[in-house]
Amino acid sequence: MTVPGPGTCHHGWPRRASAGGGATSGREDHDDLEPGAPGVETEPDARYTLANERTFLAWNRTALALVVAGLGIVQLLPPFPGVPWGRHVLGVPLIAFGAVVALVAYRELRRNQAALRRRQALPRSALPQVLAAVIGGIAVLSAVVLLVSAVR
Amino acid sequence: MLPDDPEDLDPGLARERTRLAWVRTALAFAAVGAVVLRKDLIAGLVVLATCPLVWWLGHFASCAAGPELRPRRLLLVTVAVTAVSLLAVLVALLSHSPDSLDQLLPRHG
Repeated sequence: MTVPGPGTCHHGWPRRASAGGGATSGREDHDDLEPGAPGVETEPDARYTLANERTFLAWNRTALALVVAGLGIVQLLPPFPGVPWGRHVLGVPLIAFGAVVALVAYRELRRNQAALRRRQALPRSALPQVLAAVIGGIAVLSAVVLLVSAVR
Repeated sequence: MLPDDPEDLDPGLARERTRLAWVRTALAFAAVGAVVLRKDLIAGLVVLATCPLVWWLGHFASCAAGPELRPRRLLLVTVAVTAVSLLAVLVALLSHSPDSLDQLLPRHG
């Protein structure tokens, strides 16, 4: 057994402590991620699981940043002269997209973990492209709103 | 007593980095709460209350984490972010400030 640290909440690293378990017998040779036999699932190295968790949390922070950006546009900006709906058109889609990012991030967390358990390559994620497209679209929309506001 | 190899305790500082990621996420909730608070006191306090909750989730996670993923605990974060988004949409649309909602509605007369 790994010895826990003195007076801390660390329970030690379970990599070698639980090597006797049947499902965890292949844990030592994880660095070369070979595709396993189909249908065989083993618990991945905790480092991979934690990295997966951090990626998920990073996407959730991105989602919260989208919410803050949308709220800031709607609530803190002065209204565009001549375009009373301008702030809502820019802000509300950003906020709603934040919810979408959070939900998709959870689905991807599960997919990535399933791939890790099967020792397969991680599935491709559409989220970066969608995020870039949405931010680009909002930027174009901002330019349109500003132009309309300037013309009126 | 510490193990002979420090890598046994936390290889690549993966656990420490994950704990810090939880703290960053909790702070992000606090930032959203502060922005919501500017417009709606109740909604802002509700969002701010998620900050210590997420912080505690991360602390709890780093203390008791085994090698396996805990999807239910992470699902709580997704639920929280989704709820905050919906709350933010409501705050954005139903704000009391006269220059935001009234101009959105069609004017009669």
